[in-house]
Amino acid sequence: MDGAKVTPGRTACLYIGAAVLRLVIFTLLPGLPDLLTGRVEISTPVTSFKRLQEGLFLYNHNVSPYDGGVYHQAPLLLPLFSLLPSITRLPIFTYLLYIAVDLLSASALWRIADSGEAGSSALFTSPRREKRWSGLVIAAVFLFNPFTVATCLGRSTSVFTTCAILHAVAKAVSGAPFGAMVAISFASYLSMYPLLLLPPLVLLSYDRQHSGRAIKSAPKFAAICASTVAGVLAALFQLSYLVTGSWEFLPSTYGVQLTLSDLTPNVGLWWYFFIEMFDSFRSFFLAVFWLHLSSYVGGLTVRIRRQPLVALTLILGIFAIFKPYPSISDAALFQAMVPLYRHVFPLMRYTFVSTAVIMYATCLGPAFYYLWIYAGSGNANFFYAITLVWNLGQSLLVCDLLFAVLRDEWEVERPEMVGKEIRQI
Amino acid sequence: MRQFLSFLWLSLLSLLVIPSSASSAADYHEQLNLKPLPLSALLASFNFRSNTTLSEFEKGNFRFFPRSLGQILQHAGTRELHLRFSLGRWDSETWGARPWDGAREGGTGVELWAWLETDTDEEADRKWLTLTNALSGLFCASLNFIDGTRTTRPVMSFQPEGDHSTDNNMHLLYGVLPHEVVCTENLTPFLKLLPCKGKAGIATLLDGHKLFDASWQSMAIDIRPICPPDGECVLQIEQTVDMVLDIHRSKRPRGNPIPRPPPGDQLPCDTSKPYNSHDTCFPVDHTSQEWTISQLFGKTVKGTCPLTDPTIPPVCLEVPHSSSVFVSKDVHEKKNADRLSRCFHISPDTELEIMLPRSEQDASSAITTDIVTPETPLLYAERSFTGHGQERGGVQTILRNPSPDTEVEFIYMESLPWFMRIYLHTMEARVAGQPHANKSLVEQVYYRPALDRARGTQLEVRMRVPAASTVFLTYDFEKSILRYTEYPPDANRGFDVAAAVITILDPPQTVGRFAAYTLRTTSLLCSLPTPDFSMPYNVIIFTSTAIALAFGGMFNILVRRFVAADEAHATGLGVLLARLKGRLKGAVKG
Repeated sequence: MDGAKVTPGRTACLYIGAAVLRLVIFTLLPGLPDLLTGRVEISTPVTSFKRLQEGLFLYNHNVSPYDGGVYHQAPLLLPLFSLLPSITRLPIFTYLLYIAVDLLSASALWRIADSGEAGSSALFTSPRREKRWSGLVIAAVFLFNPFTVATCLGRSTSVFTTCAILHAVAKAVSGAPFGAMVAISFASYLSMYPLLLLPPLVLLSYDRQHSGRAIKSAPKFAAICASTVAGVLAALFQLSYLVTGSWEFLPSTYGVQLTLSDLTPNVGLWWYFFIEMFDSFRSFFLAVFWLHLSSYVGGLTVRIRRQPLVALTLILGIFAIFKPYPSISDAALFQAMVPLYRHVFPLMRYTFVSTAVIMYATCLGPAFYYLWIYAGSGNANFFYAITLVWNLGQSLLVCDLLFAVLRDEWEVERPEMVGKEIRQI
Repeated sequence: MRQFLSFLWLSLLSLLVIPSSASSAADYHEQLNLKPLPLSALLASFNFRSNTTLSEFEKGNFRFFPRSLGQILQHAGTRELHLRFSLGRWDSETWGARPWDGAREGGTGVELWAWLETDTDEEADRKWLTLTNALSGLFCASLNFIDGTRTTRPVMSFQPEGDHSTDNNMHLLYGVLPHEVVCTENLTPFLKLLPCKGKAGIATLLDGHKLFDASWQSMAIDIRPICPPDGECVLQIEQTVDMVLDIHRSKRPRGNPIPRPPPGDQLPCDTSKPYNSHDTCFPVDHTSQEWTISQLFGKTVKGTCPLTDPTIPPVCLEVPHSSSVFVSKDVHEKKNADRLSRCFHISPDTELEIMLPRSEQDASSAITTDIVTPETPLLYAERSFTGHGQERGGVQTILRNPSPDTEVEFIYMESLPWFMRIYLHTMEARVAGQPHANKSLVEQVYYRPALDRARGTQLEVRMRVPAASTVFLTYDFEKSILRYTEYPPDANRGFDVAAAVITILDPPQTVGRFAAYTLRTTSLLCSLPTPDFSMPYNVIIFTSTAIALAFGGMFNILVRRFVAADEAHATGLGVLLARLKGRLKGAVKG
């Protein structure tokens, strides 16, 4: 598989195959998309397609969707979806939109893989970089990942965020810092948390600038990038204001992520913690959880300065575990980036354990949720316990990848240590 | 001396003037209307009404108007007030149209709506808070729990009953407590508001044991200003108690309340059944109307309240003139012209006892002659939840128009708690028997979505049901999960959802007293998913451990250096043991 030759025919086959798979499921199992839309593992309060439909309905009937507790998604999704024909009469257009977004994400991932940034960045070249998978394989892993397929079928709006993040990274590795900043602004506008990806993304763009029109001064470059993001975000907010007619979308869209006022269960760690939290400590722990989530950004960006793409990948993995409303689409995004590091897989220590734990949680999660909500033979602790397992499995994977990458770096300094027992002090 | 004389003259004049004006404007009357219903049920409607002129009211001369309530109204700027305490379900399939056209009843629990005169919405909210808190104290009900999440401002549903000048800045607020259990502690203050305090007249029959044992009961207080075209405006308070008694249940002696089947030889049988013979019997006892007032209420009517208007008969009974009714002596019976009802006049100190004997007709045909056939209601409404599980569900309301030729147009209002997140885009109305939703049934929708922890959903739908058809109105909702402190102690019982209020527009003018015919569905019980209440500490500890593992594992790798295994200082248990051993050896030698 290594270095497989990519022909246009194979590219088309992959994309057509992925699209046909989704279309076949959409048409042959017409009840499945709605079933998946209702799953808490796929749809969170901030990405649910059913809530989007409700927001769209209210928006089209001149009721502000933000003057209510149901719709918490970005305002510009409303005009986008009102342009599409009605989902009840012609659902095919919505399906095609979601399939197209998935294919766009895959093509961005393909470009990231083909750039070779994962194995050899501007400041570091891995001795193992030859052992890698082609863009075709990595795009195929993404497109046929059951988590990705389920997210697409569930029509969660997180696919737009995923697409924007992947395009931001793809633009950055291809030496287009402006495009990267615009894309990350869109991602942040849709979901807020991608703003935390900005520091490693700026570093990545800085490292991969075209030598012709490069800005040498790092602070100047960072300032330009930050002001680009601020400008694009301001424009998007202004546009949203024009669309909805008021600023009340800000507390309803981003405030709900900050304060977790909607406690619908999901695969993350926040919901049960804040259900059971004592009222007097709620604000304190909200601040602690957000601080904890953002604390990884600085540490990873500084420590893995030589490979900003690794920092980005690891932060995406952290998001899938610790963001307020995670879903399996965040896990799918992280799992899409992991195969880029095929060259360090041999250095990972717990691949079997973490894979087994994630698969175990995937199977038991829906079962335990059923026991709690429908059968009544289990209680909330069942589902809570399985989300703990899921998150522990993912954090094991993230830590393991970090270890492998750092050991790979270290072995450049100490080539004689390849394959030897090591210790951390 | 001259001054004294003029003072005497004035006081004499006032003595002459005030009672005469009072008797014309500030009158009081009370009436009990007994109406036998099919299947041995009896509707007893108590109605107490007193007037006071607005000018006297504003001066603080309350006369028959209860002072405690009057002062609350003045303090909270309330111009019109309606308060309901209800229990049970009105079985319209059997009992027919509702008493008072549904205008004097509420949904299960407590309902309150009032028109407040204020300049701004904020001030209306403040006065509403004052009003609910004061009424809460007055009626021993949890009305103070009507907060922002339970208050709505209906737009189409309620219309003022009284006469209000048009320039007033009136705010209608509506609050409902479906979970409130109405009981004796609410009846006592209710009776205290009456001029005779429940000590004389028909109010003596109102006893908590009987009232709250009824199949359906509704206590109502309605205060409204009435301005006759000629004359001074009066403030009218009307107190109504409607109850449907199960005759057999009420007749059980209090000392021996356990029902026992009658002996076989005393069992009346339905002889029309084909299998009826000497050893098989279909009992018909449940259809008989055989009672006396003292059997039903445990006592007789002890005279009349001396303050009541003597021209109004205190008790009326709706049975056909053909059936015989026995009354105690000194009671004057007056048959009404409609041939379906009669009224009884008594003097202030006589007792009234009414007895309906067992009808002589054949038992199987008793329903047709014994009682007046109930009027068919304009609309039947039933509401229920659909779906299963504690994640999401649907609400389905079945609206049936029994009329063969008239279409019914009405406003359907729901005020739902915020933790039921309804999806309005799923709302559809469908005529029974047709596969697809019919968009033309819903004419207008007013929707105010819920805000988490701040306000409930308000949904008002103006729709119509074609003649002789049934319409299904459905929508989906999602059940939120709450913080564990927001659950009541009996969290797994579920949360009560208030009754939907249906106001029929332009009803045919048969009664004419009320502008609209209203009906209410039953309240619903919505079960939400519950967390495990016993383990907040465990959850905090487990989640914190998971976070610590991830954070520790991550930063452990980030901040520490790699070295070859043999380059590092030896660590671990073996090394520690060896070191300890060395120390011990040294100590022993030393």
